[in-house]
Amino acid sequence: MVQFSPEVIDTIIRAAALLGAGFAMIAGIGPGVGQGYAAGKAVESVARDPEARGNIITTMLLGQAVAESTGIYSLVIAIVLIFTI
Amino acid sequence: MNPGPQIVFYLFGKDYLPITDTLMVGWLTVVIILILAKYLTSKMSIRPNGKQNVAEFIVELIHGQIEPMLPNEGWRFLPFIATIFIYIGFSNLISLIPGLASPTGDLNTTLGLALTVFLVVQYEGMREYGVWGYIKSFAEPVIFLLPINVIGELAKPISHSFRLFGNVVGGGIIITLVYQAAPALIPVPLHAWFGFFVGLIQALIFGMIAIAYISVAKS
Repeated sequence: MVQFSPEVIDTIIRAAALLGAGFAMIAGIGPGVGQGYAAGKAVESVARDPEARGNIITTMLLGQAVAESTGIYSLVIAIVLIFTI
Repeated sequence: MNPGPQIVFYLFGKDYLPITDTLMVGWLTVVIILILAKYLTSKMSIRPNGKQNVAEFIVELIHGQIEPMLPNEGWRFLPFIATIFIYIGFSNLISLIPGLASPTGDLNTTLGLALTVFLVVQYEGMREYGVWGYIKSFAEPVIFLLPINVIGELAKPISHSFRLFGNVVGGGIIITLVYQAAPALIPVPLHAWFGFFVGLIQALIFGMIAIAYISVAKS
């Protein structure tokens, strides 16, 4: 049985927290895909009906903001992991 | 580098009533908005001149966002939504001044705003359906959905506040990192992006999601 000193255990915990922060940001893929899809559909809609440009942009921004939630959660978790441990 | 509120001084001796930089910059924002509003609306006339046009443009812009989602009630909700929109907008813009941290980069500010929206949403729901009718609407269409609906309702202010907080803090961290690598010229476009564009868009989105929550509670 190997006994680790408290400094070594502290370093391991810090390293694990930083790794966890990196893994948490994998969730950034989802909002990227989602927001890009919404923007692409908005471009198609504007091309089809340029009159409704203002309404389409407002709706697109609202949808993207909601799609962003999961990415923001992962960002908050990563910030907590980096700065509190 | 430590995000979050920094304690500047204590109001009553040691460890009592800490005053954070969020509070001070927040009140500075309020004073700036008050002075600007007073200046823009002084000497109003039927035929608007330069500064009155700016004030009318802002009011019309926000009213134009509310009216499609809450028909015929645009003017009733305008004071509340416009307060949120203008306060968050100026809070995000004030971080362009070096040395001032944005008040919205503190979860206390955004959670306070989101809880205010939450209370207004509950009040509007009860005003529309009556207290008992509104509570009963959580148990529809079947009673088994009650816990899920309640949790979904309670998650709204959390996601609402985290969205603004995460955007502002994330931008601030990226700018700080770039400042450590390149202290001059290179961070300027980042300030334009995170300060102006993301800041104003997030203010608009916070207000619009508040409108969406109210209109969901009323429909």
